[in-house]
Amino acid sequence: MREKWKIFTNGFFKDNPVLIQLLGCCSVLALSVTVQGSLGMGVALTFVLACSNVVISLLRKVIPDKVRIPCFIVVIATFVTLVEMIVEAFLPDLYTSMGVFLALIVVNCIVLGRAEMFASKNGVLDSLLDGLGMGVGYTIVIVAMAAVRELIGSGTFWGLRIIPEGYQIGIVAQTPGGFLVFGIAIAVLVKINNRRGKEYKPEIGCEGCPLQCADKSECQKEEAK
Amino acid sequence: MSNLIVGVSPHIRSKNSTQRIMLDVIIALCPALIASVVIYGFRALLLTVISAAVCVCSEWVWEKGFKKPVTILDLSAVVTGILIAYNVPVGMPIWQLIVADVFAIIVVKMLFGGLGCNFMNPALGGRILMMFSFTSSITTYTYPANGIDALSSATPLAVQPELGWNSFMTLFLGNHGGVLGETCILALLIGAAYLLIRRVIKPWIPLCYLGTLLVCSWAFGAENPVLSLFMGGAVLGAFFMATDYVTSPVTNKGKIIFGVGCGLITAAIRVFGNYAEGVTFSIIIMNLLVPYIDDLTLTKPMGGTK
Amino acid sequence: MKLLGIMFTMIFTDNYVLVKFLGICPFLGVSKKFDSCLGMTGAVTFVMTLASAATWAIYTYIMVPLELEYLSTIIFILVIAALVQFVEIVLKKYMKGLYNALGIYLPLITTNCAVLAVTLLNVDNNYNFLESLVDGFAAGIGFGVALILFCGVRKALEHAKPPKAFEGLPITLVAAALTSMTFMGFTGMAEKLFG
Repeated sequence: MREKWKIFTNGFFKDNPVLIQLLGCCSVLALSVTVQGSLGMGVALTFVLACSNVVISLLRKVIPDKVRIPCFIVVIATFVTLVEMIVEAFLPDLYTSMGVFLALIVVNCIVLGRAEMFASKNGVLDSLLDGLGMGVGYTIVIVAMAAVRELIGSGTFWGLRIIPEGYQIGIVAQTPGGFLVFGIAIAVLVKINNRRGKEYKPEIGCEGCPLQCADKSECQKEEAK
Repeated sequence: MSNLIVGVSPHIRSKNSTQRIMLDVIIALCPALIASVVIYGFRALLLTVISAAVCVCSEWVWEKGFKKPVTILDLSAVVTGILIAYNVPVGMPIWQLIVADVFAIIVVKMLFGGLGCNFMNPALGGRILMMFSFTSSITTYTYPANGIDALSSATPLAVQPELGWNSFMTLFLGNHGGVLGETCILALLIGAAYLLIRRVIKPWIPLCYLGTLLVCSWAFGAENPVLSLFMGGAVLGAFFMATDYVTSPVTNKGKIIFGVGCGLITAAIRVFGNYAEGVTFSIIIMNLLVPYIDDLTLTKPMGGTK
Repeated sequence: MKLLGIMFTMIFTDNYVLVKFLGICPFLGVSKKFDSCLGMTGAVTFVMTLASAATWAIYTYIMVPLELEYLSTIIFILVIAALVQFVEIVLKKYMKGLYNALGIYLPLITTNCAVLAVTLLNVDNNYNFLESLVDGFAAGIGFGVALILFCGVRKALEHAKPPKAFEGLPITLVAAALTSMTFMGFTGMAEKLFG
């Protein structure tokens, strides 16, 4: 039981997909503008992640290794389409505000990454827990960032005005603000880890990439140059 | 041999310290300050002083907080503060000015390591923050004659009316609504002349900038190319911001490229873009290209290999 | 003229990386070296253009008549994945030189959100074939412009001395923030330039 709990909570902080594994950054940066939107995104991603993890785990002995990436993509895309239709039908405002990012969950490195690194190698229950846990971790990060950006950038929280009109710093809610808040978040994390004596040097590179390129040696040769 | 102690660099001390240079820049900016007080009233002085003070404080707080050597005496923060203040209209709320100051110093400059390590002009970074966060305040230009009437976005640049000789003098002397430091061209040119005489800045960037701006404005079909030189902070930008040592190219050839680029982009944004002024954006876009410009124009040292 | 407007918008006003937040991972991962930037740009532009063409054709001639628009996500991503595989094989066999230059970046492009986004947005915007093609091409160029600009910035960053906590990725992100600020100046230019 304890192990199951461990798998579930792994994605919250210790192996957080966004801040530690540095996956799925595009959607976090783009959608962390309002708390409502970010929560919607978080839930959508968690749903897709959990479902696809389960299905891929179920099929893991069946999917041929050579074509596993396209197969994963088909499974993930199916669930994404499902979510798209649900959101469009029941939450049209959310659908419009998410724009193309809802469909982009299909190429979200977190989903593909967990499929490749966990679901294809573990049992169904474990995969479900992992998917849910990673999803929660993602949601925590995106909502936290959104809270900061919405509060400072628009003066509202969940659409409710907190800071009087005219006292917000608009740019935080726009593109530069996204990069800035994310950068500060990672810096804070580095500082915390340094204080604890743990080495944490985040780098976006080949290591985190779920694709595990066919010829990884080439990439590494490039990096080493 | 172990008794020899090497002191901390710089080992060669010249009279041309950063402080000296910054002091010259501050002096050069004074005529414009006087002009802004004359045109806009006492608040202009207040804003400028507060802006400079906040910048200095931010730098001091950061350096104390991170246990770095305190560099506020090099006066670069003061210059940034003055320039940021010159980019706002006299009615700007003080708290917004303070936010821009803190952003400019802490994020654009100190976070990267302080003077010399930033790749973007801090004052311009501050200006953009204000442009996008406090859009209405920064475009509400109080017309000086009464000092009270607020004309939103009715600077000569935004309106581009039929301009005649009378207007030329108005523009030159700055007797119209606008932001603090950009209106009195005469005052700015006096300051610029001072900088050129004192050899603080070289003429390449400003000349190429303004020259290209003139040519391109005419080529793109702007209403009044000559007068566009006197509008929207072109003079302030060309002489005081584009020439910032840290964020502009090192060689003369590079400076020329930089100036031409700025002029081109400014003209393009003014004629085709949404914003009434293109100076800010053109300079920071060129700031981004400086590493490439330097690469292309720096000559190899004698006997050295690449 | 509209085509030029699309090009300008894609490259500057609505730049995929600096405005739309797409393609961040390769943007941050590859922008360190100039050669890598060029390679990645070439690969991305190549795939984006082809994908735009292919997906448009499939959408217009197969999906719409069969009323399968809701399946665009699945079909487009499969097209892109297949295209990338195909291109990789072809390059490896017939154009070794090009493969050496671009090949290693190709697998990364399948998960590059920008590519899928281009194809989906083409459909959203109801572009015709030529417009989609130009849009895809320009999006790739825009990606490259952002990449190359940022490469210069990262070069300047090598001389920066940020606080310990900010070294590496965080300061790069702050630099990206400032870079994106510069692109905000382009709004409104496309219409006035190209009508």
